[in-house]
Amino acid sequence: MAINEAMTQTLTMIEPQTIKKGKSLWTDAFQRLRKDKVAMVSFVVIVFYLALAFLCALNIAFPNYALVDNTIAYQAPSADHWMGTDIFGRDVLARAAHGTVTSLIIGFFGAALSILVGTLLGSLAGYFGGKVDDCVVWFYTTVDTIPYILLVVAFSFVAGHGLKTLCLAIGLTSWVSHCRVIRSEFMKQRGREYVQGAQALGAGHLRRVFFHILPNTFHLALINFSLLFVSAVKSEVILSYLGLGVEAGTPSWGMMISDAKLELARGVWWGLTAATAFMFFMVLAVTLFNDALRDALDPKLRGK
Amino acid sequence: MLKYALRRLVYMIPILFGITLVTFLLFNVAGGNPAIVAAGRYATPEQIAMIKAQLGLDKPLFMQYLDFLRQIFTLDFGYSWFTKQKISTLFMDGVGPSLSITVPAFLISLAITIPLGLLLAFFRKSTLDRTILVIALAGISISSVVYVIAGQYVFSYKLGLFPISGWETGWDTRWEFAVLPIIILVVLTVGTDLLFYRTVFLEEIHQDYVRTARSKGLSNRTILWKHVLSNSLVPIITLVILEIPTLLTGTLLIESFFGIPGLGGLIYQSIENSDFPVIKAVTVMTAILYMVFQLLSDLLYAWVDPKIRLG
Amino acid sequence: MSDSLIQIKNLSVEFQTDDGAVRAVKNISFDIPRGKTVGLVGESGSGKSVSSLAIMRLIPNPPGKVTSGEIIYEGKDLLKLPEAQMRKVRGDRISMIFQEPMTSLNPVFTVGDQIAETLMLHQKLSKAQAMAKAEDLLTQVGIPNPKERIKSYPHEMSGGQRQRVMIAMAIACEPDLLIADEPTTALDVTIQKQILDLLADLQKKYGMSILFITHDLGVIADIADEVVVMYRGDIVERGHTENIFTKPQHPYTKGLLACRPSLEQNARRLPVVSDFMTPDGKERAPNTASTKNKKETRVISEQQPVLLEIKGVKKYFPLQTSFFGNVKSWVKAVDDVNLTVRRGRTLGLVGESGCGKTTLGRTLLRLVEPTDGQIVYNGTDITKLDREKMRAMRRKMQIIFQDPYASLNPRMTIGAALMEPMVIHNLGHSRSERLDMAADLMKRVGLEPAMLGRYPHEFSGGQRQRICIARALAVKPEFIICDESVSALDVSIQAQILNLLLDLQEEFHLTYVFISHDLAVVKFIADEVAVMYGGRVVEMNDAVGIYENPQHDYTKKLLGAIPKGMPKHLL
Repeated sequence: MAINEAMTQTLTMIEPQTIKKGKSLWTDAFQRLRKDKVAMVSFVVIVFYLALAFLCALNIAFPNYALVDNTIAYQAPSADHWMGTDIFGRDVLARAAHGTVTSLIIGFFGAALSILVGTLLGSLAGYFGGKVDDCVVWFYTTVDTIPYILLVVAFSFVAGHGLKTLCLAIGLTSWVSHCRVIRSEFMKQRGREYVQGAQALGAGHLRRVFFHILPNTFHLALINFSLLFVSAVKSEVILSYLGLGVEAGTPSWGMMISDAKLELARGVWWGLTAATAFMFFMVLAVTLFNDALRDALDPKLRGK
Repeated sequence: MLKYALRRLVYMIPILFGITLVTFLLFNVAGGNPAIVAAGRYATPEQIAMIKAQLGLDKPLFMQYLDFLRQIFTLDFGYSWFTKQKISTLFMDGVGPSLSITVPAFLISLAITIPLGLLLAFFRKSTLDRTILVIALAGISISSVVYVIAGQYVFSYKLGLFPISGWETGWDTRWEFAVLPIIILVVLTVGTDLLFYRTVFLEEIHQDYVRTARSKGLSNRTILWKHVLSNSLVPIITLVILEIPTLLTGTLLIESFFGIPGLGGLIYQSIENSDFPVIKAVTVMTAILYMVFQLLSDLLYAWVDPKIRLG
Repeated sequence: MSDSLIQIKNLSVEFQTDDGAVRAVKNISFDIPRGKTVGLVGESGSGKSVSSLAIMRLIPNPPGKVTSGEIIYEGKDLLKLPEAQMRKVRGDRISMIFQEPMTSLNPVFTVGDQIAETLMLHQKLSKAQAMAKAEDLLTQVGIPNPKERIKSYPHEMSGGQRQRVMIAMAIACEPDLLIADEPTTALDVTIQKQILDLLADLQKKYGMSILFITHDLGVIADIADEVVVMYRGDIVERGHTENIFTKPQHPYTKGLLACRPSLEQNARRLPVVSDFMTPDGKERAPNTASTKNKKETRVISEQQPVLLEIKGVKKYFPLQTSFFGNVKSWVKAVDDVNLTVRRGRTLGLVGESGCGKTTLGRTLLRLVEPTDGQIVYNGTDITKLDREKMRAMRRKMQIIFQDPYASLNPRMTIGAALMEPMVIHNLGHSRSERLDMAADLMKRVGLEPAMLGRYPHEFSGGQRQRICIARALAVKPEFIICDESVSALDVSIQAQILNLLLDLQEEFHLTYVFISHDLAVVKFIADEVAVMYGGRVVEMNDAVGIYENPQHDYTKKLLGAIPKGMPKHLL
C-alpha cells in the first residue's frame, strides 16, 4: 500500500494540550545557573545597576548631580556629601551614580553593534566560504592589525567627540573577535548532519542559516556580549584619559578617573575612589556572571 | 613547510594594501583639513594654501595615496608638526625607553603566569585556584588608568619609594625610573594572561593522552610539565609572539604618566596635539609590525606542530 | 584462590551529575585468573568501562568516586594504596589500552619516545637502552621498519598501527594484567582481526592476564576464556565462555545473544532483548507468536521495476594543489560506480573505512555534488536538475545518518523537527493538521506522541534514531538511504531499529540503500549486496550468494575477518 493511503487512513488526532513541554537547552542552562550561588549574587548586582541607571536617567535618584556650588568645591566626604564634592562643588556620589547611565549606554550599544557586525560578516564568511570568505577575512585581518586605540582615535577625528561617537567608535572597532567566532562556528555547523539533513529535506540556504545554524550560535553571542560590554566600559576610561571621552558635563566614570590625575596631587582622593568602586562591582558582577553562563551553556556537558 | 611560508608571505600583500588604504582613508580623506591645524590659529588663507601645497595636500587623492605608500617604503615619514623633528628619528629614539619597560615586564609576567596557570588548571576548584581566580577577576575589574594613577600616587608620591616621573638616557641610570612602571605593567597584564593560560591548560588536561600518561604511572609533575605544556605551546606561542609588537609600541598610559620618552609617549603626544603625520606613521608601522609577528607566529606554530611541519 | 590474579569484591562507583548521584557500578564482584582472558561485556551504561578504570584508579575524581569495595592484587587492596605506590603499579604491573588510539597518544612526541618513557620510568633504563627496547617492541607488535618508525609521530600512522603502538607501550614492562577497553571498536574488521590475533599471541608469550572490555559478543567468543556480563551496573551472569554461549541463564544474556544478526541465519526478523526480559530484569516467557521468527528467506521478486540507476558516478577531492591553485593530485573517493536498485528492495553497500560508501550515499542525494556520472531516479537524471526541481525530488529521496544526536538540531523540539519538512513541501493545510501528522509519525516509529514537545537531548540514542526515521518519513518518500544508521547503537537497540526499518519497508513499499561496515547487519537487511573497496564496487551479488560464494579476494578477506560469534571449538 502506498505511503499516502497508509497515512490518511489511520491519522491520529492529537490535542495540543497533551503534548508535554520539554526542557530546552536554554531552560537547562538556566536551571544550572540558578544553583550557582556566585552567579545568582552577580545577577542581583547587575539588576541593581540596571535599576540604578534607570532611576538616574529619570532623575528620580540623585537628582542633584549637576548642582554646582563653587563654595564647597573639593570637600572631603562628610555627612552632607558621602563621597565629598568635586571641583565644581557637585556631589561626587551623585555623579558616580549617574556615571552608571553613561557606562551602561556605552557598554550596551558598543557591544550590541559589535555583535551585530560580527555576526553578519562572520556568518556570510563561514557559510558561503570561497571568495566571500576571502573578502571578509581580508577585511577583518586589516581592521584587526591596526591597533585598537589608534583606530578609535582616527574614528574620533572623523566623527567628533561625545557619547554617540564613543558608542560607534567602540562598536565598529571591536567586532573582529566575535566575527572570528561566528565564522568558525558556521564553518563547523555547515557540514553537520542536522544541517545536511535539513538540506536533504529540501531546505534552502536561507532556512538552513536562519532556522538551524544561527540559533545554535546565540549562546556565543550572549557570552561575547558580556565580554564586549566589559571591554567597552573599560575602554571609555582610557579614551576619556586621552581626551576623547564624553561631552564635558556628562557624568562618566572615565572622566572622574582621569580627572583624578590632577586631583590626587591636591590630596583629593574621593572622586577616583567613587568611580573606581562603582565600576569595580559592576564589571566584576558581569565577569563572574559571564563565567558561570559559559559553564552553564557548555555543550560538552549536554546530551548523553 | 616552505610552501606554507611562501603562501603566508604572499598573503601579507593584500593585507598591507588594506592597512595603508584604511589608514589613508581615515586620515587624509575624512580627517578634516589638516592644513588648518598645522598652520595654526591665526593663519591667513594664503598661508594655509601654502602649507597645503607644502604638505602635498593639494594633489588629487590618488597621488596623495601614492605619496603615502612611498613614505612607507622608504621609511621616511616626513616631519612631526608638533616637534618639527624627523619622524623616523622620533621612532628610533623612542624604541629604547619603551623596550626598557616592556621587555622586563613581559618576561616577569610570563615567568609568573605560565607556572601558575599550569598549577591552577591542575588543582581546579581547589581553595588555591578559587582564591587566585577571585583575585585575578577582581584585578581586571579595575581600569588600567586607575592602577597607573593610584600606583604613582601611593608609591611615588606618598611613600616616596620611586621617582614620580622622569627618565635618564644612560643604560645604567635609567633603572630607578623604570622600576615602578615595570611593576605596574606586570600588574596590568598578569590578570588576563593568567586567566588565558589557565583556560588553555585546562583544555589540554582533559585530553585522552593525559589519561594514557596517567595509566603509564607517570607522576603529576611529569604529566604537567612534559606532556601538557608541550601540547599547549601552540596557543601560548601565538599569544606571546603577538604581544611582541606591543612591547615596541610601549604603553601609552604608563609612558605618558611617568614621562618616559618612549613610543607610547610619542603616540600619546601626537594624539593630544593632533599631530597627523606622526599618528599616521605610527598606525601604519605598528600594523606592519603586528603583521610581521603574526607571520612569525604562524611559522613557529607550523614548526612546533608536527602535523603541519611534516604534512 | 591462588590462581586468581585480581579479586574484585563488592565494588561500587558513584558519579555526581546534575540530577544527583548516579550509581554506575553496583556492588560487583569477580575474579581475574592468572594467564587467562576475561571478557567484560555489556552495552552502554552497563558500567564495564568504569569498573576497569577503577582497577587502575583512573576514575576522574570529581565527578566519580569509588564508594565501596576492594580490589585485591598480590595480597594488597589497590584501592587503599598510597598514590605513589599505585603509580609504580600502573604501566608496570597493570597496564591499559584504550579505544581511540589517535587521541590516546600524545601528538607532539614520537612513537619511540612514548614507548621509551615507560621503560625509563619503571625499569630505569637509559635513553639509549629504552629506545633499543622500543624498537624490539615495535617488531613484536608487528610494525615493519621499526628503526624508522621509532621516529614517527602518531598522526603519520594508520589506526591499526597506532593501536599496535599502544599495545607496545602497555606490554613494555611485561605486566601481569593488560586491561583493554574496547580496543578494536574503532577499527575496521580486518584490522580488528589482526589486533585480536596479536593480543592472543602476546598473551601466550608473556603469560599475562587480559581483561577485555567490549560490547561485541562475537569478539568475546573468539578470545575470552571467561565472560562477565554486565547490565546497568550489575553483573547478571558470569562463567566460562562455552557455558555462556551454549547455556545462558539470565534473560538479558539470552536476549543479547539472540538479537545479533548472524551470517549463518536467514531470519526475517531479529529477536530483541525485550522478548526475553521485562524492563525490571525478570524473565519473560518466550512468545513465539510475537517474535515472528520465521526462518524463511525473503521473497525475491525479480520483476520489480528499476527505481535507481547509478551510472559511472565519480567523486574526486583535490589532494595536492600547486602554489597557484591547480590541482596536482586527487583523492578518488568514488571511482566509477555502476549500480542498479529495484523498487521495494534493499541494496546493501558494505566496505571498510575509506572505501567510499558514505561519499557515494551523500552523492546520490546531491548533498555532495558528483564529479562525473549520472544518477537516474525513476527515469530522471537528477544530476542535471535545477534547484527547484531538485527540491521537489527531495521529497522522494531521503537519508538517515549514523549519529542520531548530530542529525537533530539540538535547539528544536522534535515536533518542530518533524513538521519542518511538511512546511517546506507544503504538506498539510494547517498547523494542527501537521501536528496530527507528526503525532501519527511518532506512533509509527513506536514513540509516544505526547513527547513532541521534548528536545533531542532528552531522548536515548535509539529513540533519537526513531525520530530521524520518522522525520524522513514525513515527506512520504519512496527511497531512503540508511548511512550507517544502526552503527552507533547498542546491539539490542540495533535489533529493534532494524526490525522497524523492515516493517516500514513492507508497509510503505520503500526502497533502501543500506550502507554499513557490518556484514552481518547488511546480510540481514539487504536483498542485494555490493562490496566496495578503494572507491569501486569489487563484487555484487544477492545477499545469500555473497556470503556463501564470495568471488573477489577482498570479499573473502572481509568474510574471513568477521568474528564467528561462537567459541571456536564449538563451530
